[in-house]
Amino acid sequence: MDFNDSAEEAAFRAEVRAWLQQNASDYTEPLALRQGDPRIAEMGRSWQKQKAKGGFAAISWPVEAGGRGASPIEEVIFAEEEGRYHVPVGPFVGIGINLAVPTIRAHGTPEQIEKFARPTLLGEILWCQLFSEPGAGSDLAAVRTRATRDGDDWLVNGQKVWTSWAHTADWGIMLARTDPEQAKHKGLSFFLVDMRSAGIDVRPIRSISGESEFNEVFLTDVRIPDSQRLGAVGDGWKVAMTTLMNERASAADQSQSLPDVESLLAALGEQGRAANTRQLASLYAREQGLKYFGLRQLTRLSQGGNPDPISVMSKLVYANLLQDVSALGLDALGLPGAFAGRENHEAKKFQYGYQWSAALRIAGGADEILRNQIAERVLGLPGEIRSDKGVPFSQLPVGR
Amino acid sequence: MGDNQEALAMITDQAGRLLEDAVTPQRLKSLLQKPGSFDRDLWLQTVGLGWAGAAVPEEAGGFGLGWEVLCALAGHLGAVTASLPLIQNTVLVDALAQADCGYSAVIEQLVSGEAIATLALFDQGDNGISDTPQLVYGSSGLNGVTAVAPFAAVAGFALVHALREDQSQPALLLVALDQKGVKRDLRNCIDNARGAAALDFANATATPVAVGDGASSLLMRVAARAVIATAFEQVGGAGSCLQSACDYARERKVFGQPIGAFQGIKHKLADIYADIEIARGCALDALAALESNPRAALAYAAAARVTAITAYEHAARENIQVHGGIGVTWESAEHHYYRRSRSLALELGAAPYWRDVLVDHVELLAEGY
Ligand SMILES: Cc1cc2nc3c(=O)[nH]c(=O)nc-3n(C[C@H](O)[C@H](O)[C@H](O)COP(=O)(O)OP(=O)(O)OC[C@H]3O[C@@H](n4cnc5c(N)ncnc54)[C@H](O)[C@@H]3O)c2cc1C
Repeated sequence: MDFNDSAEEAAFRAEVRAWLQQNASDYTEPLALRQGDPRIAEMGRSWQKQKAKGGFAAISWPVEAGGRGASPIEEVIFAEEEGRYHVPVGPFVGIGINLAVPTIRAHGTPEQIEKFARPTLLGEILWCQLFSEPGAGSDLAAVRTRATRDGDDWLVNGQKVWTSWAHTADWGIMLARTDPEQAKHKGLSFFLVDMRSAGIDVRPIRSISGESEFNEVFLTDVRIPDSQRLGAVGDGWKVAMTTLMNERASAADQSQSLPDVESLLAALGEQGRAANTRQLASLYAREQGLKYFGLRQLTRLSQGGNPDPISVMSKLVYANLLQDVSALGLDALGLPGAFAGRENHEAKKFQYGYQWSAALRIAGGADEILRNQIAERVLGLPGEIRSDKGVPFSQLPVGR
Repeated sequence: MGDNQEALAMITDQAGRLLEDAVTPQRLKSLLQKPGSFDRDLWLQTVGLGWAGAAVPEEAGGFGLGWEVLCALAGHLGAVTASLPLIQNTVLVDALAQADCGYSAVIEQLVSGEAIATLALFDQGDNGISDTPQLVYGSSGLNGVTAVAPFAAVAGFALVHALREDQSQPALLLVALDQKGVKRDLRNCIDNARGAAALDFANATATPVAVGDGASSLLMRVAARAVIATAFEQVGGAGSCLQSACDYARERKVFGQPIGAFQGIKHKLADIYADIEIARGCALDALAALESNPRAALAYAAAARVTAITAYEHAARENIQVHGGIGVTWESAEHHYYRRSRSLALELGAAPYWRDVLVDHVELLAEGY
């Protein structure tokens, strides 16, 4: 995109490049660590801190919130330039920056914002998202984890699952049921949980790549002060919606160690490009369209708007695009995607992309759910017939 | 023929039961964990039951049940993602028998299953079979590196496509792999259970099986047969994905209903069903063409390959999708199929190459009608 830069943007790009040259020199080679390794999160923490020092931690956030108050284009320029290095960015930091803080800013008390926003920006607090449960994934409002009032505290019991980076998180954002006698969307509340509280047991789950990025989290009599409730009692669903909108809007921009059409072109070589021209053209067009779509969304956000329901399209299209790009890349590199004479790192990218895309089509709202949302909230089509409307949660046959 | 049908039914029936029992998820997962893995115990067990020679004509020492039995067995292997070199051994025996010059000792080892075959027909980075192979066979023997080939990590013999230097013509070579001039290059890959390796030859001893036009036509015979049997393996795998997805769609309840009640899931599964039946149709047609229309066998094989790749890929991806979070855990079996769909899509040349073959030969298919 460099050739599209305006004079100011070009100047900003030059500034970013110079800063990265000075500061990212440790990250010129791919990290030799397995996904999920806690050391990655620690590196992510320090990288976040370093970026904050340089004024690049939250480029399009307002200055009052500790950001740079710059344009979303500049945000993108930074990400592009940062992407030339193998810097430790990912959900271990992203959940805090992209999900927790925007939700706290939208629904929190001044004290909560004060306590969490800046330290998160500085990499001092890493977050995880304690939403999904074995019986509540797509049907998130079916969460059963129970929070009961106990004086000034809440006592929490239940089980969360698929919690990415819970094993390195300092804090978690959690959805729990506070009133099972209300209809299922109404009896929920939203909490901020110190992950070092007594009664929290985090157990890793191995993913298809053989690595452990996500976890099961068991909560037994976990005590949470009422001051760590976010939003009103019973407003948990509304608060969680803010998180989900932000999640789906940001899920597409974690493309660092993942392949794109450019890496595909490089991997294919002349012969492979000739054999796949049509597919490449359509992949390229999808990628470009998505990029500009994303830019427009970012512009809205920077002007103070909330994520649009249509922003869910980014993740839907991106995850599927990634699966197609990765599959073709593996074809191009031959069976192992890693044979003599080939750059090993490139091959790994496609293997990782092939596995991660399958997960990304499910994480943060599965394809089918996002399609329903586009159909219902954007296109205005009627919703599916629901048997659970208005029925008290305690009377529903939930989950499996 | 009646006897054959009975024997065929017996062996495939037995195959289904044996594989169901023997191929446990734990076994498959342990194979996925290191490069070049091969389930030798299962191989020995099935060799004991005569699988390696089931399709081979009686005059070559086999049971003479024909390609039909190979395809049926391949379907069973595919259904459980077991990897055995049945196709490779059978196809190499067929190629050597075509060349008719004194390979009886090798054939015997392949039919008994004592030796394993690999078909190393591709150059690195090629999407398909090249007219001008990069490997060179000359006065100093065979030199060069093949693309990764299944079972090359454990094979005793390879069929290799190379350029014969003195005649500037392509040749098909038989190479005994346990010799000094052969290195097997194993790497971690998306599907480690295929016993795969690239073969690196340095002045290796090799025997030409066919040269020039003879090599080209033999190569196409080999490719067509391997592709057709593999299509059955792919359809078998895709069928298991569909079954697993349907089972889960009946069982998993979300929003108070089985997810199979949602049209988003129903339509997805119905589309996969259609893809699979189309691929099965093409595979059966291609199998029949081996006898009825051998001149067009390659074209039929290409159609079988292209549709089988599509069906398996589609079924494997969406099976994971239907399973939600559970589908992307190591513990689930769904990723075994996701991996296998990719490796089978590559091993005998990728879809773009076979699409071109199909287009080049499409009038031969038209003649069949
Ligand atoms: C890599 C990864 C990381 C994750 N990280 C986190 C995390 O950090 N925190 C967290 O809280 N959660 C996390 N999740 C969980 C994720 O949000 C859920 O997996 C997801 O919402 C799907 O829920 P489920 O797995 O229960 O699938 P299910 O809800 O059981 O869905 C199964 C299938 O049914 C389909 N389906 C459901 N309803 C319908 C319908 N109405 N119409 C059509 N189809 C339907 C789904 O699309 C899916 O294909 C993560 C998941 C993954 C894969």
